[in-house]
Amino acid sequence: MDPSLLEPSTGYIYPNEYFLQWELLIVLYPYITGLVAGAFILASLERVFKVKALWPVYRLALLSALAFMIVAPLPLLAHLGHPERSLEMFLTPHTTSAMAMFGFVYAWYLLVVLLLEVWFDYRREIVIWSQESKAPWRYVYKALTLGATDISDAAIKFDDRAGRLITIIGIPSAFLLHGYVGFIFGSVKANPWWSSVLMPVVFLFSAIVSGMAIVMLIYMVTSWIRWKPIDMACLNKLGEFLLYALIVDFSLELLDFIHRLYESEESIHILSQLITDRLFISLVILQVLMGALIPIFGLVAARFGRLPDEMRRMIYFLVGILIQVGIFSMRWNVVVGGQMFSKSLRGLTVYKVHLFGLEGLLFTIGLLLLPVVILYVLVKLLPPWIDGQEDGALAAQPH
Amino acid sequence: MKTGRIPQQVVVLSVIAVVVVAGFFGMRALFVPESFGKYGHYRADSVDAIRKLPIQYGGAKACAECHDEVAATKSQGFHRGVSCEVCHGPAAAHIEDPGTIKPTAPRQRELCPLCHNYSPSRPTGFPQILTAQHNPGKPCMSCHKPHDPVPPNAPKECSACHRGIWSQKLVSPHASLECSTCHEVPKEHSVDPRGFVVSKPTGNQACERCHSNAALAASAIPQVTSEHTARYLCWDCHYPHFPEGKK
Ligand code: HEC
Ligand code: HEC
Ligand code: HEC
Ligand code: HEC
Ligand code: HEC
Ligand code: HEC
Ligand code: HEC
Ligand code: HEC
Repeated sequence: MDPSLLEPSTGYIYPNEYFLQWELLIVLYPYITGLVAGAFILASLERVFKVKALWPVYRLALLSALAFMIVAPLPLLAHLGHPERSLEMFLTPHTTSAMAMFGFVYAWYLLVVLLLEVWFDYRREIVIWSQESKAPWRYVYKALTLGATDISDAAIKFDDRAGRLITIIGIPSAFLLHGYVGFIFGSVKANPWWSSVLMPVVFLFSAIVSGMAIVMLIYMVTSWIRWKPIDMACLNKLGEFLLYALIVDFSLELLDFIHRLYESEESIHILSQLITDRLFISLVILQVLMGALIPIFGLVAARFGRLPDEMRRMIYFLVGILIQVGIFSMRWNVVVGGQMFSKSLRGLTVYKVHLFGLEGLLFTIGLLLLPVVILYVLVKLLPPWIDGQEDGALAAQPH
Repeated sequence: MKTGRIPQQVVVLSVIAVVVVAGFFGMRALFVPESFGKYGHYRADSVDAIRKLPIQYGGAKACAECHDEVAATKSQGFHRGVSCEVCHGPAAAHIEDPGTIKPTAPRQRELCPLCHNYSPSRPTGFPQILTAQHNPGKPCMSCHKPHDPVPPNAPKECSACHRGIWSQKLVSPHASLECSTCHEVPKEHSVDPRGFVVSKPTGNQACERCHSNAALAASAIPQVTSEHTARYLCWDCHYPHFPEGKK
């Protein structure tokens, strides 16, 4: 039926609120940047805080962060329609616009933090591979050494110290990166669903949760594909940190919720209508129940219960998937939810996802698969596996 | 590597950093236009560049000089506010050389719905149709004269021009109320909406005649006491076309 026949909205809404300006791609963007920040913070746990049990996933986490980071700006570029114009914001920076400054946050994080850290971490191997591997690869590795071929003990020691320093710089940078995304939403003071000082913190912790969970998933899946045993000590440690992060994240969201309820500003009626009517499935069921409560119980059971390893792995795997669904729903609820109620606080509109087009479902799925492809290439180039080897041992030669 | 010497990595990275930073300033020097930022966060020369662009439009008044009949017709009709070139396209060249360059006349069905297809964001009273249902298949011109678009007969429903309000009321508690319950509509309003203005309720008695607890209304109608509103108009709080009461 012609959609204009039946008024899709309920209540009173202003004419310019019928159609959403920020659609699926803008949901995807904070989701992917969250994965970057989370995976990186997981890697830094091993590096800075010396959580040795996490050693098997350290490099995998770094490479995952890099793969997601490369994809992170693509949803924004596709949404804007004129990707080439994004370069202008570097050339003529607009210092009073948070959105315009994002380019610098991104460049800093990608160039100074992620790439450098990966480089320092792999430098010794890269140099060795550049001497030992066969023809085409040899030149790739040669180029990757950037000309720094010194692998004396002193040089390796320096790599290690530099890597640690970068990680220390990297943690606040990762906080900045994802805190920034929350800041963008939290600072829209005209929108009661977004405007909250807790927003950056909530975004940050949900980022950590989603990033840890995705690394856990990637670690399990890659181990299965490679027919290698999963290091249970590592997995348990991962599950433990994931549990803590999830509890903090969930408490923060609960705090935000209770705070809103208690404040009971004039927006409370329309917001409760938004939750019970439009966002019931994506918020109550997907985000809270399946994305937080069930994973918390699952993690407690798997980490602290007396279960066979096989069972634990199953639970961790399911929890990892549930968390991804939950965090994606959380981004959806923030981005789409914030545009579904009228600023008159008197009505709600609806949003239907399209299948085709730049803002469509297919394109979004494509963008979600792209990091997997990039990660595959990265892993082929810089194998992160340390199967059964000692801390600091050389990874297997790739080619 | 001797202690005290600068490590090779630092040298390499410093070189790259210098190249990147130099590249940044080089790119800026190369790509940022000279006049950028003179007046604001844009290229000041673009003002001159835009001024030099060839003029495509003749302007709203230019056509009347030769097409005085069409202009006269249009100035009396509903499209008096719509410029000729909105429909006929830019025609400055046609004015220069009317014999050889002729503007197109949009005879297909596609043009008119650009303005007249239903969209809730159009202003109140703007005549709108559901294009898919409004006499499909026939060009609009076969019934409406583009220069003087009077509908062949006056629309019976207020929805022809107030579809937003109409469809909201349709799903509201006031669905059973005719528009004329609250508005006094002169018959000519449908033909000449600005000449014959519809009345709007001015005081609370418009609502109280059904909703006051003193009113003799059906018991199904929710009623309020005089304390419910002391100093305000009912529609300061309730949207009359979609009233909400129980939260
Ligand atoms: C200098 C006089 C002159 C001006 C000014 C002028 N026109 Fe014309 N126009 C003509 C002449 C002459 C014709 C050709 C009539 C014919 O061929 O029967 C014409 C024809 C047309 C046609 C009909 C084309 C067709 O396919 O039959 C349109 C439409 C038109 N003009 C639009 C405009 C518009 C819009 C403007 C204002 C921007 C305009 N004209 C300004 C002289 C003018
Ligand atoms: C709402 C859109 C619209 C506007 C505004 C409009 N026209 Fe037209 N015009 C048309 C259409 C459609 C036709 C084709 C009519 C037909 O083929 O019967 C047309 C035809 C014409 C023609 C050629 C046929 C004829 O009737 O003589 C001329 C000349 C013309 N218009 C001039 C003008 C001028 C001058 C103005 C401004 C005063 C103007 N038009 C404004 C839509 C428009
Ligand atoms: C650029 C926008 C625009 C285009 C294109 C346009 N119109 Fe209109 N139309 C208007 C405006 C403005 C009014 C006057 C509304 C008012 O009075 O509030 C109007 C009024 C009308 C009316 C209503 C008359 C009434 O009874 O109120 C009809 C019918 C109409 N147009 C038909 C057409 C047809 C047929 C076309 C295509 C040839 C067309 N319009 C193209 C802007 C447009
Ligand atoms: C078969 C003849 C016919 C055709 C073709 C036709 N209309 Fe109409 N139109 C009418 C009649 C009759 C009315 C008035 C009664 C009603 O509201 O249905 C009307 C009403 C309208 C109105 C409502 C405003 C008013 O004054 O009633 C608009 C706007 C309008 N038409 C635009 C268009 C447009 C645009 C097209 C082409 C896409 C079109 N019409 C095609 C016959 C026609
Ligand atoms: C042909 C189109 C058309 C039809 C049909 C029409 N209206 Fe209107 N109406 C208008 C326009 C245009 C205005 C805006 C007048 C203005 O802005 O001055 C308007 C304004 C109004 C207003 C507001 C007056 C004000 O002072 O703000 C009311 C109330 C109204 N109409 C009621 C109705 C009712 C009830 C009907 C059905 C019986 C109806 N109209 C049918 C075009 C129409
Ligand atoms: C229960 C009484 C009631 C009914 C029924 C009603 N109206 Fe109104 N309408 C009002 C009141 C009261 C106002 C004045 C609101 C204001 O001044 O803010 C109004 C204002 C308007 C306006 C101008 C302001 C605006 O919101 O755009 C239009 C147009 C209008 N009505 C059209 C209609 C139409 C068309 C119908 C039938 C579909 C209708 N009304 C039915 C009470 C009513
Ligand atoms: C002709 C009688 C009549 C008039 C006049 C009238 N109403 Fe109503 N009103 C009703 C009816 C009938 C209902 C629906 C009762 C029901 O839900 O069964 C209703 C329901 C309501 C409700 C309750 C909605 C809910 O959520 O239950 C409100 C609020 C309201 N009207 C406000 C107004 C206002 C404000 C005005 C003046 C602009 C007004 N009414 C004028 C008949 C009227
Ligand atoms: C200051 C804002 C305000 C004004 C002015 C106001 N109302 Fe209300 N009205 C409300 C609120 C809020 C409610 C819901 C109250 C509740 O749920 O107890 C309400 C509820 C109602 C109800 C539904 C009661 C029920 O039992 O379902 C009706 C009918 C109503 N109002 C009619 C009116 C009428 C008629 C006027 C004008 C004489 C009016 N209101 C003026 C705020 C207002």
